[in-house]
Amino acid sequence: MVTIIKGKDRAEYPEFFTQLFKLRYKVFVEGRGWSLPTKHGLEIDQYDDDEAIYFLDVNEHGIIEGTVRITPTVQSSLTADYFSHLIENGQSPRSSRVYEATRYIVRPSQKSRDLNRAAKSRLLAALTQWCLENDVESIQTVIDSNTLPTFLELNPKVLPMGLSYPYGGGRNTHGGGDCMAIRWPISQEILECVRLYGDLSLLHAVDAISSENIGEMIH
Amino acid sequence: MQSTENKYAVRTLEFVERVGRLERYSSICKEIEQEILWYGLTSVSILKIPGPMSTLEESMLLNTRPSEYLDLYVKNNYVIKDPVITELSQTEKSYTWSDIRKKRALNKMQKYILDEGRDFEATDGLVIPIHNLSGEISIFSACGDNPNLSNRARSSLELIGMYSYESLKRAVIKKKKSEIVREPLTPREREVMLWVASGKTDDEIAEILNISTTTVASHVQNSKRKLNTFKRTYAVVQAIKLGEISL
Repeated sequence: MVTIIKGKDRAEYPEFFTQLFKLRYKVFVEGRGWSLPTKHGLEIDQYDDDEAIYFLDVNEHGIIEGTVRITPTVQSSLTADYFSHLIENGQSPRSSRVYEATRYIVRPSQKSRDLNRAAKSRLLAALTQWCLENDVESIQTVIDSNTLPTFLELNPKVLPMGLSYPYGGGRNTHGGGDCMAIRWPISQEILECVRLYGDLSLLHAVDAISSENIGEMIH
Repeated sequence: MQSTENKYAVRTLEFVERVGRLERYSSICKEIEQEILWYGLTSVSILKIPGPMSTLEESMLLNTRPSEYLDLYVKNNYVIKDPVITELSQTEKSYTWSDIRKKRALNKMQKYILDEGRDFEATDGLVIPIHNLSGEISIFSACGDNPNLSNRARSSLELIGMYSYESLKRAVIKKKKSEIVREPLTPREREVMLWVASGKTDDEIAEILNISTTTVASHVQNSKRKLNTFKRTYAVVQAIKLGEISL
């Protein structure tokens, strides 16, 4: 189940947040080699403030299997502060109806491609629904450029804000890669797309349709 | 004034918006071919990497390479030997034919396959791997005579490749969905699906309808096939949605 917690209520859930900041340390600092501010094995940054909203997908044993943080771009935007060069379409990285998603993790304890899809869909459906209810027009985020196809699979309306640029020393360095900024428009239709993405029975039906008949389309 | 760097971004972002609005397969293909021509890329293939049970032709989403080249490729089963394709197992990032020549010691056959592209007026090409979460690998592979494959051009082409693939896939699926004529459920299948919807097992339904469990299982199986699903619960959802049953 996905639990939504506001940054200002953090003190009420100390065990969840200790677990979350440890998980972020493990994934981003140890796993991906990012250079981030850390303290006693916890990864906490300046955007973990009262305005942040946390989505936590917690399993029946109380373990966080997926998480994403969103912040209102008017006050807190990593893109505006550190990645403004990624925006090449003339849009402002700060807008009252645009939130920014960061620290995105999906790690189901039981792993398979289908379960990963379902976990991703669960977390992002909760995020999309919250945005719909709170009049958010789109989510802005910086992604590893290689992962764009999986975002497009989830939400065909995802639009790039510019081309990709190297970060942290580029593709051949540990902790580095290519990144780009995208906007994820919010609508009821997109919420349906995200939910369908996690519906495994339909997924296989659609795959069967596509692979069976693509051959006829050669021109 | 627009800088040269920015020119790549502006035209690519415009392409992405344009191709996203198109619905017809043929219009999407035309748009892609026109856009890559700006980089000097004259041929393009967009395909899912064929598995053991499928052929190259079946896996193609778009191909503008000369048919003689493709025939040769299929006839000689180059897909399992071509260094441009086998490189896919080593990287998730885009690469050019020149990158491969520089990076790997190629055997005679591999060199021959790469050089053969020259007979069809292609001296260099770019391959963009597209990995989805279901583990499928597809590629956007474009080539031409001395194309522009500078770093900025490659960044643009990566976006062009990913959005082209997504748009084509969407158009193909939509076309196929509209072509499917659904076979209706029989009265007995509808009756069985109603009991499935109320949460009964095959054994319980068999007892209620006074028929064998095997017959019930066969009705459920046929209903699932007709409703285009492998899952019992989703068959119920589809049956309700399509008006076959109501609760």
